[in-house]
Amino acid sequence: MEYLASGKIAVVDLATREIIEEELDDDLVLEKIGGAGITKSLYDRFADQDPIVLGTGLLTGSLVPGSSLGVITAKSPLTGRVSHVPLSLDAGMELKYSGFDYIVIKGISEKPVYLWIHDGIADISDSDDLWGQDVWTATDRIRDLMGDDLIQVIGIGEAGEKGSDLAQISINYWQSGDRMGFGNLFGKKRLKLIALRGMGLLEIAEPEEFIEKCGELLSAVKSGGAAKIRGIAAMAAALGAEDIGEWLQPLTHKHMACFNTSVPTNTFVFLDEDPSLLKETTVNEPGVLLTDISPLLIFKRLGLTAADACHVLKACAKYGIDAAAVAELSETTGLTDPEAIKGALPDLKGPVSSSGDAVFSPWAAVGNQEKEGWMRRQAVAYIFGIHPLFALMAPELTEEKLLDISSLGTELELTQETLDEVIADITG
Amino acid sequence: MGLKIDALTCTACMACELACGYHRDDAFALLSSCIVPYRAREKKNYIGVILKEEDSLIAARPEGTEISRIGQEQDPDKEADASAKPMLLRESCDLCEDLDDGPLCIRFCPVNAISME
Ligand code: SF4
Ligand code: SF4
Repeated sequence: MEYLASGKIAVVDLATREIIEEELDDDLVLEKIGGAGITKSLYDRFADQDPIVLGTGLLTGSLVPGSSLGVITAKSPLTGRVSHVPLSLDAGMELKYSGFDYIVIKGISEKPVYLWIHDGIADISDSDDLWGQDVWTATDRIRDLMGDDLIQVIGIGEAGEKGSDLAQISINYWQSGDRMGFGNLFGKKRLKLIALRGMGLLEIAEPEEFIEKCGELLSAVKSGGAAKIRGIAAMAAALGAEDIGEWLQPLTHKHMACFNTSVPTNTFVFLDEDPSLLKETTVNEPGVLLTDISPLLIFKRLGLTAADACHVLKACAKYGIDAAAVAELSETTGLTDPEAIKGALPDLKGPVSSSGDAVFSPWAAVGNQEKEGWMRRQAVAYIFGIHPLFALMAPELTEEKLLDISSLGTELELTQETLDEVIADITG
Repeated sequence: MGLKIDALTCTACMACELACGYHRDDAFALLSSCIVPYRAREKKNYIGVILKEEDSLIAARPEGTEISRIGQEQDPDKEADASAKPMLLRESCDLCEDLDDGPLCIRFCPVNAISME
């Protein structure tokens, strides 16, 4: 694959520590397009070795609006189904530029390890210094070790190491869209984290036309309904959920976008300092980036103050546990004291409904979207690499336009018929 | 004429960096861009944008804009920790003078945080 890709797949065997590199063939792209289409096909190929497959969408890392998404495909320990989890923030982009389009991780390591994927090189190393550390410490340590603060870290905390059903993979210091218990899978494989960094270059088959179309798509998005949305509360309201804007407002510092995503879908809150602070704080701790709407909605419903809810979310992020599941279980058991909720984290167990009944993480299932339309839109987002919440808010990114721009970028003839087949394959 | 960046409006999306990289390389790459949102202060959400001009390095921070004259500062790259290739090694902003539609970074900033002044 020559365009919009590095053209390489890494197959990592944690049991033998062998890493094999394969080429990403045009034929596979013509048949499965990209993103979840290809991660699912790689999953099927290695299914007997319980693989975790990471990948990027065909348009991830490009100038197409919303091009932030990477995907992790694996069998969810919570639902028993092969499922897709979003890699948002800058993690999908970093994977795309790391020199590999897809990474298959199979086998179980004898000792705790981490993977270092950078500039077309994949390495497995012992993670003695990282195992046992919370998400924040592990992220700091790997960045210090490599001397690069821009490394994107997909990792687990103590929840994943200890085999919690509700363990979530984290992205850097923050909660991810993993509602499928993939953190538990990482822990079972003794994989503490995957560190990503890339300075690659993606060639474009028809660069001028491609950029022209990216500009047209962005103009359409900027004149559409999503244009004024800023932050997690506004997004929740736009998607039909309860308005949490007023509740969250006193803590709100600034809204932050995932890579090249036209709408900032994340909100940073300050708990111990003045949220209107402009200059750099001297407090050397990550803080709270809100990346998931559901736990906020539940904790508000339970009567927690926004500050108490965010303190709980901070503890969940550090421990590496899915805050949506924690919120759901708090509601079931009637636990509303934030200290008691935090204290209970190590003992929490499913079942929970927060993993949903679809193959896509319900992280982007907010409000009253009609189910079939939602599934199809998620599939499109996960195939092309478009932020799944943004995809719901930006109908301007039609399937036809995404196919058209993909063909311009890759010189491959990608048809609606193929897209329909891939969607049927990954949602079936 | 030059670029003006409103760091308070910026959402750190990196579209400007990618657009500028394309302007340099006719491909998607981030290494050669002369406009870079700094992401290395991820903790506590301290974000802003650095721009390399011919003689100066402009850091648009939330609390205001700081301009360093290249060659006069002891360590002008100190602020340029946003990527592995130091800002000073990159080409300076040429305001996309070869493009009829003007600067690509302005065109692709989704929240209109960049303008001409
Ligand atoms: S005006 Fe052009 S050269 Fe200057 S920063 Fe923007 S994209 Fe880069
Ligand atoms: S494109 Fe605009 S919002 Fe995005 S990083 Fe650049 S200046 Fe900030």
